[in-house]
Amino acid sequence: MSSASLKKLEIKTGLKQLRELRKETITAATTRMKEQKQIIKAIKNQLQQPTTVPAIAEAAGIPPHMVLWYVAALKKYGEVKEVDKDGCYFRYCSIEAS
Amino acid sequence: MRLEAKIEVDAVVIGGGIAGLQTALDLAEQDYLVVVVEKDASVGGKMIRLSKVFPTLDCASCITTPKMAAAAHHENISILTYGDLKSLDRSSDGRLEAVVEKKPRFVDEAKCIGCRQCEYDCPILVADENQGGFSARKAIHIPFSNAIPQVATLDVDHCILCGRCEKVCPTQAVDYFQQPQTIRIHAAAAVIATGFQMTSLHDKPQYGSGEITNVIDALQMERLLAPHGPYNRVLRPSDGMEPDSIAFVQCAGSRDRSMGVPYCSRVCCMYAIKQAMLLSGALPLADITIYYMDIRAFGKNYEQFFQNAQAMGIQFVKAKVASLAAAENGAVEVCYEDQVNGGVTRTSHDLVVLSLGKIAAWNPFGTCPVEVAEDGFIRSVSPRLAATLTSMEGVFAAGAAAGPKDIVDAIAEAGAAAMKAASYLSACHRPKQARSGVSINVKPQPSRAVAMG
Amino acid sequence: MREVQIDSAQQAQAEEKRVGVYICHCGGNISDHVDVEALCARAGQAPGVAVARTHMFMCSDPGQEMIIKDLQEGKVNRVVVASCAPSLHESTFRGTLQRAGFNPYLYEHANIREQVSWVHHGRPATEKATALVAAAAAKAARLEPLEPIRMDVIRHATVIGAGVAGLQAALDLASRGIPVALIEKSPFLGGHVAKLDNIAPSNEKASELLTRLTRQVLDQPAITVHTCTRVVGFAGCVGNFTLRIKVDGEQGQDEGKKLHSMPTKTPRRGVFLPQYGVVTGSCPENPAEDSIETGAVILATGFKPYQPMFGEYGYGRHPQVVTLPEAIQALAGENGSHPVWHWHGRPIRNLAIIHCVGSRQIPGVHEAAEGAALNEYCSRTCCSASLGFANQVRENYPVTRVFEFYRDIRTYGRGQEELYQRASKNRVLFFRFEAQEPPRIESNGTGSESPLQITVKDTLTFGEEVQVAADLVVLAVGMKPNGIDDLVEMMKLPVGSDGFLLEVHPKLRPVELPNSGLLLAGTCQAPMDIGEATNAASAAAVKASGLLARGFVELDPFVAEVNLEQCTGTGACVVACPRDGALQLAEVAVNGKPFKKAQVSPAFCLGCGACVAVCPTNAINIKGWTLKQYEAMVDAIVADLAA
Repeated sequence: MSSASLKKLEIKTGLKQLRELRKETITAATTRMKEQKQIIKAIKNQLQQPTTVPAIAEAAGIPPHMVLWYVAALKKYGEVKEVDKDGCYFRYCSIEAS
Repeated sequence: MRLEAKIEVDAVVIGGGIAGLQTALDLAEQDYLVVVVEKDASVGGKMIRLSKVFPTLDCASCITTPKMAAAAHHENISILTYGDLKSLDRSSDGRLEAVVEKKPRFVDEAKCIGCRQCEYDCPILVADENQGGFSARKAIHIPFSNAIPQVATLDVDHCILCGRCEKVCPTQAVDYFQQPQTIRIHAAAAVIATGFQMTSLHDKPQYGSGEITNVIDALQMERLLAPHGPYNRVLRPSDGMEPDSIAFVQCAGSRDRSMGVPYCSRVCCMYAIKQAMLLSGALPLADITIYYMDIRAFGKNYEQFFQNAQAMGIQFVKAKVASLAAAENGAVEVCYEDQVNGGVTRTSHDLVVLSLGKIAAWNPFGTCPVEVAEDGFIRSVSPRLAATLTSMEGVFAAGAAAGPKDIVDAIAEAGAAAMKAASYLSACHRPKQARSGVSINVKPQPSRAVAMG
Repeated sequence: MREVQIDSAQQAQAEEKRVGVYICHCGGNISDHVDVEALCARAGQAPGVAVARTHMFMCSDPGQEMIIKDLQEGKVNRVVVASCAPSLHESTFRGTLQRAGFNPYLYEHANIREQVSWVHHGRPATEKATALVAAAAAKAARLEPLEPIRMDVIRHATVIGAGVAGLQAALDLASRGIPVALIEKSPFLGGHVAKLDNIAPSNEKASELLTRLTRQVLDQPAITVHTCTRVVGFAGCVGNFTLRIKVDGEQGQDEGKKLHSMPTKTPRRGVFLPQYGVVTGSCPENPAEDSIETGAVILATGFKPYQPMFGEYGYGRHPQVVTLPEAIQALAGENGSHPVWHWHGRPIRNLAIIHCVGSRQIPGVHEAAEGAALNEYCSRTCCSASLGFANQVRENYPVTRVFEFYRDIRTYGRGQEELYQRASKNRVLFFRFEAQEPPRIESNGTGSESPLQITVKDTLTFGEEVQVAADLVVLAVGMKPNGIDDLVEMMKLPVGSDGFLLEVHPKLRPVELPNSGLLLAGTCQAPMDIGEATNAASAAAVKASGLLARGFVELDPFVAEVNLEQCTGTGACVVACPRDGALQLAEVAVNGKPFKKAQVSPAFCLGCGACVAVCPTNAINIKGWTLKQYEAMVDAIVADLAA
């Protein structure tokens, strides 16, 4: 076996051990990630058109404070932008959609 | 296997906030070698996380970054971030020894170029503590845009070891197997600049124990007001509404025996007034009320700042707020005794900001034999003539570690601590360590910047 | 005679100038009002600009790295950063060039925050920013490397004022092996602390504190104490100042401060005299003058208590209205053997203290003394001093009742809130008033027991009007900066609207003056208590020590430079020059023949440009700010890149 592939194997075994060691946090984080993906999908569905946080919350059945948190995060990572103001609220839409 | 490293310096500064950085700079200017130990992933402390500062309304980032950069680039200063102080005590040779555990970032600091590719590709969102929890970061992330050093940190509590960050990193900097490293710092003098933290929202049942979404603390308000904050504007966190009516509750945790904080936290009056002013700039139509016991605007130009706030139409109501409760449509009901008209009064606001108390961020018990006073802050043995002197010879304290303090007082005290440490070092007549001896096995950070210098 | 060779064939600069323009969002401070991307696109079009980029925070490490990368890759060799005021970050970015291995003066700063985004909005903001950036880029293309002026410093410091701040600063400097001259105009050391008794909140005795501090100063061989001395002349620049000092002798002193009228006949060095301070020895009989060569000067000139106007809260009208310092002095002399405090033999059953006298004055509400400005600031120390005094009275004279009339109680410091709580426990009664409705002090008529009556609308009890009889009214007077007009004039010191000396930056550089080499310690900068004043003093000392330890200073090279070929020796520049010693005509041999030519002494040159304006042959220029550079800037503005 070449030294490069030996190293690869070592890393693979090491990662396996690490996964075993951090089993608890990895399981919890994986569950969270799945939930996050679903929520993001639901929110993004609403963001095809410019819309407000309370409107998304109502349509997607997600508490508004949570919607705001996701919208802020998606905005930070360049997936969502603020469009305009609608009363006391701002409207957002997905960057792909615009 | 645990890695060990040793550093020999003239002085070690514990804490890389504004006080610690100023102390380090003043000592370095006397040609002493200094190492700064910071527990967070970036230096800058509380100040770098603020919006603007009173009474000048300077943007906090703009005036903190030069100090951070100056310290990071100074040839006499090494900065050790993401390090836990395990002990600080006198060793058998009479010098001080600080034992620091450098926590693993799981990213090689020398290799990371701060491109944030890993952060963009990471699939896990985590509440961003540097944005008051109002937005998200990823499990692997750079703390904030002007952090020093610009090095990613992997938060293993949220990592699923999916391997994406490692794959996408252009410099192979991600290292899932990184181990903590023990660093022994030998120094003749030490300066404690560990700063403060806020009392917890959760300790105050009459103010909702942190359960009312639109009751936030002052540091969270700083983020809402910061130009690069979570929403890039002021919105209330329950539903993203632009608030029409905002209230500040002063002494929500200070001057309050029930919170164990009988003392005055010294900065809350001024930051509340500042935030109120910034809010009335951002939301010109909003009603802003400050509920207070005494307005303590005692610093240079502070009283004039307070008078300006009154002239701007900010309402000051002398009252100790008794309780807060969630009301309809996300509003918060403030209940207080009206001292002018009499009687218990209830008023609704869209957003309520609590001016929580300042408590010491570091308890030396079990780590360092330095004495603390009843208030939990480092005790000064000569509060009139040399406030920075502690109960330990060669150990000095500066900034909020030695009691609540605003930025200017912390800066002055940092200079004073550096002066006392320099006097102590000159009295020690210790031969200076050779330059090359600054770091053994430990790269001074930020590594790239030092390499450039 | 100096011999110079002039090579008339100017060396053609082979190097092509490639300007990099870096535009800062300032996290929104700029980009919220200036269209940064449009500005960047326009800047990229400006002549000579090779690269134009933007960043959220140019001053952050990644921002600076971006510049370094472009420099090191050869993309640019001149740099413009468009961001905040140069006072904040010009030196930061000069440092960036230096770290990249470039001359730091190949840098030009464009201020598009203070001068644009903070004062203009919308399209005009972007247009003005474009003009400023274009001008900076045009100048940058004409920048040449410069070397800072390096000057040796005198390893010696001078401290003016021997109150606690001055004493502490002198001691700190001496501990670093720096010789110090400590100059004090009175015959005593200790300043205002000598007038105190118990110091709140720790109850330390002022006499003990001062005796301890001055003993160290008097025992320190590196400190030369000059009492009865004033500074009468000031010249030079950072690292090399000359101070003329004048020993006033006994005659120059106020009557009350003459040593020979002191209670002790032959005061010994180091002895504390209550109210006066610590004796340093006998004062010389006759005036004398001397001079001191020094590298740095720390101002520790202190404060004076506010003097109430006649009739202010009845002051001067009623003998029973006194100031807090007077009351502290009277209380210090008492032994507390009687349950009622006596003032000049008269029992004080009801004692009233009024806060914020001469502090927190509001335009339109308060009136200033004639010719004086309102004291709008809080004096910071009076709340704790008043409460400390009230507690001392209550605890030693239980029958004397104490009433405090306040606006806000400002016991902010460590141990101070406890003073307030102790006062409540000591049953001191508090009344809170609004600035618009201050307490009124009136005579109580002959029949009543107490001579004075105080009427106040108490906002603690829903604005009820309350009347309190008083035997003595104590005014908690604030702090005023000491009268140092002579020093301000002589040393060109900046003074704030509040009358206190004005620091470089109120947040980050509280002990430094813009005048390099001059520093601030204690209450000459702002009201502060003893602990804060000594902290400021030590902070000032560490700056001075850093400056002197290096052994040299580097000054910006923006000084006049003479083109010897063009200079015809008219001497117009010498006449126009406002600074002694900066410009003179000198005999110079040019290619073997003698000529009179202007000659600059860079260390003294202010870089003001007065000489440039008067030269008939355009032979004199300010380095880094040449006429050619100015012309290029004006041309760029007129060209209107935004159009």
